[in-house]
Amino acid sequence: MKSGTLELAGISRRFGQTVALDNLNLTIGAGELVALLGPSGCGKTTALRIVAGLERSDAGTVALKGRDVTNLSAHLRNMGMVFQSYSLFPNLSAVENVEFGLKMRKVERASRRKTALELLELVGLDTQSKRFPHQLSGGQQQRVALARALAIQPEVLLLDEPLSALDAQVRTNLREEIRRLQISLGTTTLFVTHDQEEAMAISDRVGVMSNGHLEQIDTPDVLYNNPASTFVANFVGTMNHIPAEQQGDLVSIFGKSIRVKNSNGISGSISVLVRPESIEVSRAAGSGNAKVITRSFLGASSQIICQTPDGAVIQALMPSHESGDLHPGEDVTLNVTLNEVLVSHV
Amino acid sequence: MAAMRNRLSFALPLTLAVASLFIFLPFGSSAEFSFRSYSQDGKLMHSLAPYRWIVEQPEFLSHLLLSFKIALFAVIFTAILVVPSVAWLHLKAQLFRPLVELITLLPLVIPVVALSIGVQTAFPDWLQSTEYELPLMYVVLALPFTFRILDNGLQAIPLKTISEAARGLGASWIATIFYVIAPVMRRAVAGAFFLTFALSLGEFTLTSLLHWDTFPTWVTSVSQQNIIGAIALSVFSLTFAFLVVFFASLSSSRSKKRMDATE
Repeated sequence: MKSGTLELAGISRRFGQTVALDNLNLTIGAGELVALLGPSGCGKTTALRIVAGLERSDAGTVALKGRDVTNLSAHLRNMGMVFQSYSLFPNLSAVENVEFGLKMRKVERASRRKTALELLELVGLDTQSKRFPHQLSGGQQQRVALARALAIQPEVLLLDEPLSALDAQVRTNLREEIRRLQISLGTTTLFVTHDQEEAMAISDRVGVMSNGHLEQIDTPDVLYNNPASTFVANFVGTMNHIPAEQQGDLVSIFGKSIRVKNSNGISGSISVLVRPESIEVSRAAGSGNAKVITRSFLGASSQIICQTPDGAVIQALMPSHESGDLHPGEDVTLNVTLNEVLVSHV
Repeated sequence: MAAMRNRLSFALPLTLAVASLFIFLPFGSSAEFSFRSYSQDGKLMHSLAPYRWIVEQPEFLSHLLLSFKIALFAVIFTAILVVPSVAWLHLKAQLFRPLVELITLLPLVIPVVALSIGVQTAFPDWLQSTEYELPLMYVVLALPFTFRILDNGLQAIPLKTISEAARGLGASWIATIFYVIAPVMRRAVAGAFFLTFALSLGEFTLTSLLHWDTFPTWVTSVSQQNIIGAIALSVFSLTFAFLVVFFASLSSSRSKKRMDATE
């Protein structure tokens, strides 16, 4: 296996007055796929470009397999990159595009052609090898770009929103394919995206970024179930904001007292952050504490939208077989199935 | 909709016919006139005599060669100065593109008189009145057209992304220019070259103001002694320019076909 660990230590970068990256530390293990997730302008693309050597950093070091490459020119780093916009060379056919990196490495013609065709086969485009970029669809172009990046047996694969320009269907297929190839080749991969579903679906770990720093980096499961901050909680997955009153370290919600995980000890009005699947809806014997507005059947689960007497709209997600008797207008009792909640101090 | 399409399909040939008349009527008449000669008893006949007269002029070849040389230098200067500047603008200075676009229009707005004197005094002494000053000025005169051809050619290509892709794949800057930037710019560059060449061959006003004697200015002075000979010269240079452009577009469309045919 050729891939190694990638280590970013204390990377900072500012553009004029704007801080793009503020002391970013990130280690990606050999063969690991780490996604950087965040809203646009959070610095994730800058981080990737610094790793690629296409952008310089103001401070900090980039190390590959323990070797400092901070000042190494982009073309000497041996990193494969797939861009958001189509980046195939328009004057070269698909197979010539894939060959390009090997040609730069002075690999002999017959052998590089063979490698390129093998890689095109790997991405399912061996029959289109003689086509030019303008004769390929967007998804096919990104597949060729992926094959081209992998042809040089990169130490690190850098993916800069490679799926953003594609249709939903193609996007899902291609992301599964990227993951399959990445696992089978064992390539250390840094994947930058603003799409949380995409990041969660294929990454070993996801780093959520905001304003140039990492808010939290962990496995998709931990990020979703145990977000470290309200920013992460809001950015990853769907989240209800339920108005409530905090008293000390406790908050009372739907008649139940729950400990506040990120308490500042001050009592007052706050929003409790609860995921739809952590809310239980049951038919009320009496008047209940909310009314059903709509129920949408989604297959295995159903989405129930309720409204409390004080006007708060709450989304719940329940197994369909448990929620079949919840009809619009019905009085229901809501219950939070958590022992600990995150709140947002507004 | 169908009626409109019908009207359009009728309008196109009509426009073409009128446009062709506009071009070929004067050209045909000039051509006819250029073959005229008169027999001893004053009878009108057509012969190659005016063309023979041209070729027999002692200064014909030297002026033609000078114009060729100047046009060739203009193309070389375009290659050295304009092409890399426009590529750099797209790679590193997109922000300034609108400003540069505006500046390149200036040669169309500024009167040639002002341009010739202004530009000439701006040249360093060792360049003034040498035969390199004309090609440099022609490069400026051609800028409104050459910039647009190159700019349009590059707009269609994400030059920055593909050069970054090449760098990431192990190409040095030199290799990137050689293997990626130059090939994708080839057609736009060829267009800019032909335009510069054609404009340089035919430029009269600036040349005359700076007291240079090139083929076009020589034709003008000759026309004062022999009107039929002068017309014959114009027909000759027009045909020649047309052939240059014709073969240029032919060869570039052929190279495009070759690209498509390698499927």
